[in-house]
Amino acid sequence: METGSSSETLLNLDSSGESSSTSLDEYVQLQRRIFHTTLIVSVFAVSISAFFFPLQTSISLLVGALSGVLYLRLLARSIGRLGKSSKAVSKIQLVIPVLLLLAVAKLPQLDLIPALLGFLLYKPSLIIQSLLES
Amino acid sequence: MDSITTAASVVAAGLAVGLGAIGPGIGQGSAAQGAVEGIARQPEAEGKIRGTLLLSFAFMESLTIYGLVVALVLLFANPFAG
Repeated sequence: METGSSSETLLNLDSSGESSSTSLDEYVQLQRRIFHTTLIVSVFAVSISAFFFPLQTSISLLVGALSGVLYLRLLARSIGRLGKSSKAVSKIQLVIPVLLLLAVAKLPQLDLIPALLGFLLYKPSLIIQSLLES
Repeated sequence: MDSITTAASVVAAGLAVGLGAIGPGIGQGSAAQGAVEGIARQPEAEGKIRGTLLLSFAFMESLTIYGLVVALVLLFANPFAG
């Protein structure tokens, strides 16, 4: 009897672990969808700006978009760690906009406004994903 | 840049980051608390909860980033510097 109940418990644990890993797969897939949408939006915006604006603007937009993707990646990683290896969401991702602005201030090849707009290019993909989720 | 503009820029940069981080900080704390409680109660919904947390954190943290951008622009690329 006891053996039966312990094996049942084991089975339940196994099934809950399976459902947890399936659920985490869902999170990984959401991250992937957000990154793919961000990359598509970034490529679209950079190609449009390369057509209508000088090369310096496009490069600034590209640098900003890449730093936005990196920021989103770090944010997703720190949220993935929440509750497992850390009790709070780390703020390391905020270093990325600081470094971007310092690079814009120090390098004359980069413009401020396009770099900031490029950094915020992850927003449309987030809005699309939250609309799809609801 | 004259000294009054410099002083005003530094004070404004501090206020922009400090005041701009209060609201998102409180919001992120309560969101993370709710998410961890939700994961503890329903581990099978962990992926969905983390996904929602990622989206809400990205929106909330952008408010902090706006304050940070204003502060860094005032410090390193001040438009009022003569």
